[in-house]
Amino acid sequence: MRKVELVVPEQDIVPVTEALAASGLFHLVPTEYFGDENVVGTGNKWHTWAITFTTLERRILMVMEALHVDAGSPPDAPHLIEPDVAQRDIEHLEKEIQAPLHKLEASQRRLTQLERYLTQLEPIADLEVDLSTIRNMRYTYVMLGLMPTANIERLRSSLEHIPYSLVQLRREEHLTAVVLFGLQRDAQILDRAARSAYINPLNPPETYRGTPAEAISALHAGIERTRQHIAEDQVELEYLQEIHARLLQHLLWRVRASRKLVETIARYGRLRYTYLIAGWTPASKVPLLQHQLETVSENITIEISPPKREREGNGEGRVQDQVIPVALDNPAFFRAFQGLVTNYGYPNYGELDPVTIVALTFPLIFGIMFGDVGHGLLLTLVGALLLSRKVSALKSLANMGFVVVACGMMATICGFLYGSIFGFENVLPALWLRPLEDIMDILIITGGVGASLLSLGMIYNIVNAALNKKWGHMIFNRNGLVGLAFYWSLLGLAISIFIPNFPIKTATFATATVLLGAAVTFSEVLARLVEGQRPLVEESWGSYLMEAAFELFETVIGLLSNTLSYVRMGAFAVAHGALSLVVFIIAEMVGSPHSLGYWLVVILGNLFVIGFEGMIVGIQTLRLEYYEFFSKFFSGGGLCYTPMSLVSKESNEA
Amino acid sequence: MAYALIHATTRALYSQMLSAPVWNTLIHAPDFDTLLSELTKTVYGPYLQLDRQLLTPRRVVYQVKCHLAHIYTKLIRIAPDPAKQLLRQLWLVYEVDNLKAALRGIETGASWEQVLFLLSPIPSHASLSAADMETMVRAGDVVRAVERLKNTRYYDTLAHALERYQTEHNLFPLEVALDLDYRRELWQSIQQLSDEDRKYALQIVGTALNVDNLLWALRYRLYHHLSEEEIINYTLPLGSQITSDHIRAIAVGENLGEVVAQIYPKLPAQILNALNTGAEGLRTLELALQRHIVKICRSVFIGYPFHIGIPLAYLQLNTHEIRDLITVIEAKASQMPASTFVPLLELYPLLSEDGVNPADMNN
Repeated sequence: MRKVELVVPEQDIVPVTEALAASGLFHLVPTEYFGDENVVGTGNKWHTWAITFTTLERRILMVMEALHVDAGSPPDAPHLIEPDVAQRDIEHLEKEIQAPLHKLEASQRRLTQLERYLTQLEPIADLEVDLSTIRNMRYTYVMLGLMPTANIERLRSSLEHIPYSLVQLRREEHLTAVVLFGLQRDAQILDRAARSAYINPLNPPETYRGTPAEAISALHAGIERTRQHIAEDQVELEYLQEIHARLLQHLLWRVRASRKLVETIARYGRLRYTYLIAGWTPASKVPLLQHQLETVSENITIEISPPKREREGNGEGRVQDQVIPVALDNPAFFRAFQGLVTNYGYPNYGELDPVTIVALTFPLIFGIMFGDVGHGLLLTLVGALLLSRKVSALKSLANMGFVVVACGMMATICGFLYGSIFGFENVLPALWLRPLEDIMDILIITGGVGASLLSLGMIYNIVNAALNKKWGHMIFNRNGLVGLAFYWSLLGLAISIFIPNFPIKTATFATATVLLGAAVTFSEVLARLVEGQRPLVEESWGSYLMEAAFELFETVIGLLSNTLSYVRMGAFAVAHGALSLVVFIIAEMVGSPHSLGYWLVVILGNLFVIGFEGMIVGIQTLRLEYYEFFSKFFSGGGLCYTPMSLVSKESNEA
Repeated sequence: MAYALIHATTRALYSQMLSAPVWNTLIHAPDFDTLLSELTKTVYGPYLQLDRQLLTPRRVVYQVKCHLAHIYTKLIRIAPDPAKQLLRQLWLVYEVDNLKAALRGIETGASWEQVLFLLSPIPSHASLSAADMETMVRAGDVVRAVERLKNTRYYDTLAHALERYQTEHNLFPLEVALDLDYRRELWQSIQQLSDEDRKYALQIVGTALNVDNLLWALRYRLYHHLSEEEIINYTLPLGSQITSDHIRAIAVGENLGEVVAQIYPKLPAQILNALNTGAEGLRTLELALQRHIVKICRSVFIGYPFHIGIPLAYLQLNTHEIRDLITVIEAKASQMPASTFVPLLELYPLLSEDGVNPADMNN
């Protein structure tokens, strides 16, 4: 990575920002990075424009929604549009669609209204009474309408003191069709009560005369006519969609890009006539970026510098860490495992990328726990299916395809080593051992694999410290050289105790353990001594010694538990065999071998083992990687390299 | 013990409420700027970290309300079911108010920029996002705005009430429909709680609902001069404290003081008598009833702590704190003397040693 600092004249700020975004190479750093109080955020103009563009974008989307136009694909390098120009275009479009849209909406409302009349009349379709008779009753008050079901009780309560009758005709989810009867002399009270209970009276226009059946027939005709009007209005809107779709999409993306552009400029530092921009670019791409910037601005000042690894301070005593972004660049196969690593965190700049080692250890751990030729091959097929992207429901998991394939293949290899295929332990010869028969062996061996992986983690930590020239950390850290030697001496001590004729004597390991334990106890002091940091102890020596003693105890327990944690690989290998055995026991209980029931149970049982145990083993593998392995060397506090863009992925949604 | 986490969190939040000395400082701040600077030292400080020019009284009120939205979000996230449902429903009162404000904005031809800071802040758990509200306001007229609410919880209610709006050209039917619908749903959420939780919810939310109901009925009679049947249809006697008979008595024009005395027998006589004087009496009653709610909420914090009452009481108290703050902010912005606005505060008098402690109004 190279630090790129730009001083850009005010008049060139827009083309320079567009060029930075179009290059796809520049990771922008916020203004505060400069740490200079003379550098202030840019003025309100860009903020105001950002708000304006947000509003304009929303208005465009509303027009697009009305015309059923999608967002389309983003252009390669959109340019800034002046807010006034965009506003004029949008107003023109809004005006053009307003009349047909309102016409369509009015027709749709009319259709809804007519359908509602129809719904209300249908329950009384059999009445042989002229609707006009109901309308013009002399002594009886009649109101037919639709009201919220929840209001019925209150309406009854409000009319307690006058004679009335409320008949419920049809009940829908929230609304009920009702007829309210009363006396004409109480019409005012009934009207007020009906209105305040939200009865929307059914007043079919005078054109709908005759009996309810006749009115229904007329309503059907009216609905048909309205539907025709709607279809005509839609044709008009479709025509507008056809002629304006491309303009709308173009406008949308320009406004979107402009919003992102002005939001980006608002984050720059600014002096009176110049803007200050800082960011990061991969070292190999710097000349290309430089060329692209010089093409758009003759007066731009570009300063390139390598990252400083030390903490840097300014004259005012403020100290600021440089956070250098990290661009992980792995081959396609390893990239599949990148997600597993970045899910935990990004490595810091200058640290080893753990993706490669995860790509090797993850399938290994999985395979040891899930060793079965049949199950492994099935998993491999599932992985291949994910990679093929042929099943649309699984497309989002395509990136995991390589991981599943690798795990499946390793499970297949381990299956051959264990002599297991679909749980059958007597079909294939075991090339190495059978976990179910050699339980102690598999547990000890997986413990050994765990110790190797933990040692590998510590070696990674030592290399990382060396790369960053943290010599004290490299030698004396608990996961550094001393820590590694202490771990090995502890392992040696355990081995020499349990293996009587071990070539190296227990006393030798015990002496090494004591000496290295003392070094671990004083690791912090020794590291500070080597790195020239003072004071050697933050508080008093007494409290330091007390703390260090407890930490040594914690280290020993931690190393022990980390190592034993890997024994679960063996335990799961045994459990895998045991679970398969259970499937066969159940199958034999269901029917004799070769019977349909037997094979049905075997197939279902195998599917269960693959799904259920496969998932558990996957989780356990992840756990061993994250908690046991990563904790030795990987803190995950790095920053992802994200080149600025005006058409980001998230905005690619209408 | 499902309430252990929410109880601990609420207690921590409760301890951050403004104390009497802080209130004194705010009330006696010589001007709006001093008030702002004092307010930034409180729990509301983080919400006021804006350019001074942007901090108009209206914007300050908006920013202060952000705190309420924030604590609702926090408590809803950690609340056990079905308390979560009730808290969510409780918050919706602000969404309903936002809808009403947006409709009024549309009716008066206000732009979205003018309406935005009149709304309550919209948290992530809201059913209507800021974009939804903006789309609604930009629709330009009430009918189209309601159409924009299709597929939201408010559409059916508003779409049905729209017919009356179109006939009467008045937002009143839309607003009442929203209020009634919201309170009915709130009541249903309370009914879904366990017996123990329901007891506390009725004590706090139920009391607030009853107070709303009573005040609505009184307002309909005193301000709107509505008929008996209209008042009954526009109110919801939920629970046992206020019955249909009380509402009817108010509606038919019985002595208001006597009716209210039946509901709150321990309310001071001067407040009851003042009711017959009209609007001024109603304001006094409203203040007394709000302080009554505050008192109930504060009492909930004494005793067994693991129940829904703690978060409910805290949220209700915080609502009152913010209402008092809004009064102080607006008073300072218009240079009103403390003697004029302090008597209007709901929470502060109960915190202050010299404050008026309303008589115990519980039956």
